[in-house]
Amino acid sequence: MAVDEALLLEAGEPVLRCYGFAPHAVSLGYFQRFADFADLPSGTPIVRRLTGGGAIHHGDELTFALALDASLLPRDVSGSYALLHDAVLAALAAFGCRATRLPAGHGQTARPAERWCFAEPGRDDLVTPRGKLLGSAQRRIQQPRPRVLHHGSLVLRRPALTPFVAAAEDQAAGLDREGLAEALARELAAALGLALVPSALTAAEQALAERLRDQRYGDPAFTAQR
Amino acid sequence: MRPNDRKYLKSHEWCKIENGIATIGITDHAVSHLSDLVFLDLPNKGQGVTVGESFGEIESVKAVSSLYAPVTGEVVDVNKALPDNLEWLGQDPFEKAWMIKVKVTAQSPDLVDGKTYDAHCQAEG
Repeated sequence: MAVDEALLLEAGEPVLRCYGFAPHAVSLGYFQRFADFADLPSGTPIVRRLTGGGAIHHGDELTFALALDASLLPRDVSGSYALLHDAVLAALAAFGCRATRLPAGHGQTARPAERWCFAEPGRDDLVTPRGKLLGSAQRRIQQPRPRVLHHGSLVLRRPALTPFVAAAEDQAAGLDREGLAEALARELAAALGLALVPSALTAAEQALAERLRDQRYGDPAFTAQR
Repeated sequence: MRPNDRKYLKSHEWCKIENGIATIGITDHAVSHLSDLVFLDLPNKGQGVTVGESFGEIESVKAVSSLYAPVTGEVVDVNKALPDNLEWLGQDPFEKAWMIKVKVTAQSPDLVDGKTYDAHCQAEG
């Protein structure tokens, strides 16, 4: 989470970061109440995201963070989701995995009743007949310049705490995670009209991520702040 | 044309200053691009805000956005009813959906008038 925020604040070029959670963990949406998760199994690692939405149990999944200038995306939030989620659909299709992006008319218009992100598919979410396949959320900032952090959690195998989700393995058993990450990078780059260049964190991004980890994400008070 | 009795930031906050007190909110343009709003976090009375820094956060169904202070000063009043009535932001963003009032000690040099802000929104799409 600290690296993702550092990429939002520092990165000059658009960056896609693909990763996973080890050990498996639960991430809370930025505005969620910590007390609402007191029933999680003892010892479950919990982190608070900078992005909004519901909680996610990050098990066997492809997690990704895309940090880029807002000018590269459609200005309205829904338009940006349509563009990015269609790229995810194309990456999944390369592995024989089919899903649908829900049209307008689905989704909450009030505070969501469900605490889990995957429990309540809404507009622009990717779903299969088994449920929601991709959890997504964004953080938008205007300073130091307009930027967007887009988080995605693409379920490969159904996690224990949220067995109601769809999973890529329903349609593509033994799906190659690295191959899927590469396909995702290719499709996102094509959708955004960008060239794909492998990169590592810069020294400035690394230093900022360490500061954010120490001051924010690694601090239990931040996780429990709401 | 948006109200010309106040100034605007290109990050879509508005600011109306009367007798040294700035009333601050966000514009219809910001609201229309955020879609369905679900949470709003505002500072408490007595807290300080600083030009260019975040004074609050707003969550729509799919995104959290930071809100930026057009002035520096102390928060002297907060629209406490707004977080539970977010539909006001769509209905009346320039009056009923004001967010905070600040005793001003400095203003952002980036504040523009309504006409300039209108042109910015048009260019932004």
